[in-house]
Amino acid sequence: MDFATLASQFFIGLSRGMIFFIVSAGLTLIFGVLRITNFAHGALYMVGAFIAYSVSTVFGQGPYGFWLALLVAPLAVMLISLVIERGLLRFIYNRDHLIQMLLTYSLVLIAGDLVKIIWGTEYKSMDIPGVLRGSFNLWGASLPWYNAFLLVMGPIVALGLWLFLSKTQLGKICRATATDREMVDVLGINSTRVFAMVFALGGWLAGLGGALIAPTTTISMGMDASIIIYAFLIVVIGGLGNIWGALISSIIMGVGEAFGILFIPGIAIIIPYIIAGVLLIVRPSGLLKSAW
Amino acid sequence: MSTNNLKSIENPKGKLSTYLGLGLSVSGILILLMIPRMLTQYYVYLLATVFTTALLASSLNLVLGYGGLLHLHHGVFFGVGAYTVAIVMTKTSWPFAVAVLLAPLIAALIALVIGWFCVRLRGLYFGMLTLALGQLVWAIVYRWNALTEGDNGIHAIPVPEFLSSINSVYYTTLAVLVITLAILYLITKSPFGLILLATRDNPVRSESVGINVKRHRLTAFVIAGFFAGIAGVLFVLVERSVAPSLLFWNKSAEILIMCLMGGLTVFMGPTLGAGILVLLSMVVGLYTEYWLLVLGLLLLILVLFLPQGILGYLMESYGKNRSKRGEN
Amino acid sequence: MLQVEQLRKAFDGFQAISDAHLSVPKGEVVAVIGPNGAGKSTLFNLITGHLQADSGHIKFQGQDITNSAPYTICHKGMARSFQLINIFQSLTVFENVQTSVIAKHRLDRKFFRPSKKLLIEESLEVLESFGLFEFKDRSCSSLSYGDQKVLEIAIALGSKPELLLLDEPTAGMSSEETRKIVNLIKRLSQEKGLTILLTEHDMELVFDVAQKIMVLHQGKTIAQGLPEDIRNDKSVQNAYLGEAE
Repeated sequence: MDFATLASQFFIGLSRGMIFFIVSAGLTLIFGVLRITNFAHGALYMVGAFIAYSVSTVFGQGPYGFWLALLVAPLAVMLISLVIERGLLRFIYNRDHLIQMLLTYSLVLIAGDLVKIIWGTEYKSMDIPGVLRGSFNLWGASLPWYNAFLLVMGPIVALGLWLFLSKTQLGKICRATATDREMVDVLGINSTRVFAMVFALGGWLAGLGGALIAPTTTISMGMDASIIIYAFLIVVIGGLGNIWGALISSIIMGVGEAFGILFIPGIAIIIPYIIAGVLLIVRPSGLLKSAW
Repeated sequence: MSTNNLKSIENPKGKLSTYLGLGLSVSGILILLMIPRMLTQYYVYLLATVFTTALLASSLNLVLGYGGLLHLHHGVFFGVGAYTVAIVMTKTSWPFAVAVLLAPLIAALIALVIGWFCVRLRGLYFGMLTLALGQLVWAIVYRWNALTEGDNGIHAIPVPEFLSSINSVYYTTLAVLVITLAILYLITKSPFGLILLATRDNPVRSESVGINVKRHRLTAFVIAGFFAGIAGVLFVLVERSVAPSLLFWNKSAEILIMCLMGGLTVFMGPTLGAGILVLLSMVVGLYTEYWLLVLGLLLLILVLFLPQGILGYLMESYGKNRSKRGEN
Repeated sequence: MLQVEQLRKAFDGFQAISDAHLSVPKGEVVAVIGPNGAGKSTLFNLITGHLQADSGHIKFQGQDITNSAPYTICHKGMARSFQLINIFQSLTVFENVQTSVIAKHRLDRKFFRPSKKLLIEESLEVLESFGLFEFKDRSCSSLSYGDQKVLEIAIALGSKPELLLLDEPTAGMSSEETRKIVNLIKRLSQEKGLTILLTEHDMELVFDVAQKIMVLHQGKTIAQGLPEDIRNDKSVQNAYLGEAE
C-alpha cells in the first residue's frame, strides 16, 4: 500500500465526508432548534439530487446547467421544506420522538413514490461540468477535481453556518430559541417564524447536498435510505445540535468508510456502523456538547 | 420516551371484559380454523403472513409500548431467526427441529448483545444505537457471502414433509401465534409486566423503589428478540426463502407503524395493525404500484389524528363512558 | 443510622455541596433546613445514589453506600419521596404501591403469575394507613394534588424502609393538607419507629416534628443539633437574614 493510494483514498473519504456534513448540518440544526427528529431529511436530499438532474438536463447537461442546478435545487427543496413545516410539522412539536419520527417517515414513503411518479424508475445521471472534470496530481496521487471542489464547499458551508449563527442577529435568535423557546416568545420574538426559517435552512442544506452529489453517483430511489441513517448517526455522535460536532463526525465517517473500502473491500459497509456503535457506546452524549 | 400522550387505560374492570375477551378470542380462532376450507390458497397464504407479522409486531410492543423504549430496529432479530433456519437447513445436515430451536435462541443472543449496550442509554440515544447496531448486523448478513449468500439470499429452503402444504403451514402458524400471544399476554400481566410499565412511566422512581431498571429493560429486550426469532421461523415456513432486506431498517419501520396503528398501549393493538397493514398492502397492490404512497398518507393521518391507534382510541372512549357513569 | 461526612459535589464548576456533615440517629426525626439553593435536594440525591459524589462518605447502618446505585440502597432499607410528584402515572393507585412492594420482595422477575393477585394484603395495608384505600382502583390523575403527594410518600413506604427520606413533603400544600402530613410523620415515627430524614421550608413544621436539625448553607453544614440550639445559633440567623437582605 503506497502513500499515493492512501492519500487519494483519504482525499476521497474526506470529500465524501463533506457531503455527509452538509446534509448532517441541516439535520443537526433542525434537531438543535426544533428538537425534532426529521427522517424526511434524506428524502429532501434525494429530491435535491433529482431536481438538480432535471435542471441540468434542461440545459443539455452543460456547464451552465450544473451551476444553475446548484443554485435552483437547494432553493426548491427549501421551498418544499417550508411547506412541510407550516403544513404538517408544527402540529407535532411537543410530541414524543416516536411520533415525530413516524410522521417524518411518512413523508419519506410519500416522497419515494412521488419521485417514482415524476421522474420514473430508471437511474439517472448527471455530468460533471467541464471545468471540474479530470484530476490533478498531488504527491503522486491522482485526485479528481470534483472532490477537491467538494472539499472546498464543505468548509465554506461550515464557515457560513458558523458566521450566521454566531454573528448575525437572526442566528443568535436561532440559538436562543434552541436553548429556551418560551423565553424567546416572552421577548416578543415569533418563535414559530424561527422554526419555519430553521427548517427551511435545513432543507436548503439537504438540497445542496443532493445537488452536489448528483454528478458523482447514480441518481435513484434508495438514495434517501442510505444517507439518512448515516446522517442520523453523525448527528447523534457529534452532539445533537452541534455543527462542529457534525463536521468532525462526518469526517470520521467519510474517511473511515474510504479506508474501509481500501483495506477490507468486501465488508467495508460495516465500517460506518462500527464507528457509530463504538462512539455511541463510549461517548453517548456526543463528541461535543449538544445544542450550541 | 414521554408518555404524555399515551396513557395506559388497559384496565377495563371486571369479569365481564375477561369473558368477553375470551369469548371473542375463541370464536375468532374457530373462524380462523375454518378458513382453509372456505377460501383459496392465496388467502390462506395471506393469513399465514398476517399471523407471522402479528407475532413480530406483538414482540416489538413488549419493548416499545410496555417498556416505553424507542426500539427502532427490531426487525433484525426476526431476520436473524429466519436466516438461522435457512442456514441450518441449507448448509448443514442438522434436522429441522434443531433449526427451529436454534433460531429464537440465536435471535435472543443477538438481542442480548445489542441490548446490553443500548439499555445504558436513554430516549433518542437508545433508539440511535439500536439503529446503528441493527444496521451493523444487516451489513454483516449482506456481505458474509459464504454464510448467507449475501445479496442473493437463500431460496428453496427445505422443510419437513408435513409442512409442505400451505394449509399445514397455516395451521402451524396459527397455533404458534395463539400460544406465543398467550405467553406474551401472561408476561404483560405478571409482576414482570407491571414493573416494566413502572420503568416506562418513571425510571427514576423505579430505581428508588429497588428496581434495576437496566436489567429489567434488557430482559424485556431479550424476550422480545426471542419471540421475533420465532416469527422468523414462521416466515421461513411461509415464504421458503430469506433475503437481506429482512434486516434493513425499513422493515423495522413497518413493524413500528403496525404497533402505532393498532395501539401501543393495548395488547392486541400490534396484531390488529399487522392484519390491517398486510391485507391493505395486498389490496392496494391490486390497483396501483404506489403502495408506499398510500402507506405514507395513511401513516400521516394516523400520526396526526389517531396517535393512540385504533384500539387505543376505542379503549379511551370506553374508559370515558365508564368514568362518566361510574365516578360522578 | 445514617452518617454523612465531608461530602462534596460540583456541577460544571459550580460547587453545589462543598462540605456536608450529617448524622441521623436511629428512630429520630431529623430535618435539614437552609435557604433556597443551599443544596438540600442535591444532598438527598447524593444520599440516595441518584447523584455520584466527588468525594466524601455516606454510611448507612454501618455500610458504606457512597456511590451505590439507588436500587441497591433501597434494598438496604432506605426509601425516599420526591419534592415534585414522582409517581407511576399510568398505573392505578393500588398498582403504584404494589410496584414498590413487589420490588422490595424481589418478585419483579416473576413471569407467570398474574400480578394483581400478588402481595395484595401488604399493598392494601399501606394504602389504608395513608387513607388512600378508597382510591385504590382509580388512576392517579384523578387524585387531588394533596392526595397525590400522600401517594408519593405511600410508594416509599411500600419498600418497608428503616430510614425514610422526605424531600419537602408539604411543598405546595394547604394548611389542612400540611396538618395531615405532620400527623403522618408523627405516626410513622412514634408508632412504627421509623427513622425519618426530611427537608422543609415550613419552619413551624420542622420545629414541631424534628428532634434534630441540620442547617445547610451554600453547600456547607453550618450547624447541627437540637432545635432550641439551632434556633439560637447566630450563624444560622445570619444565613437566613443575610438572604432576606
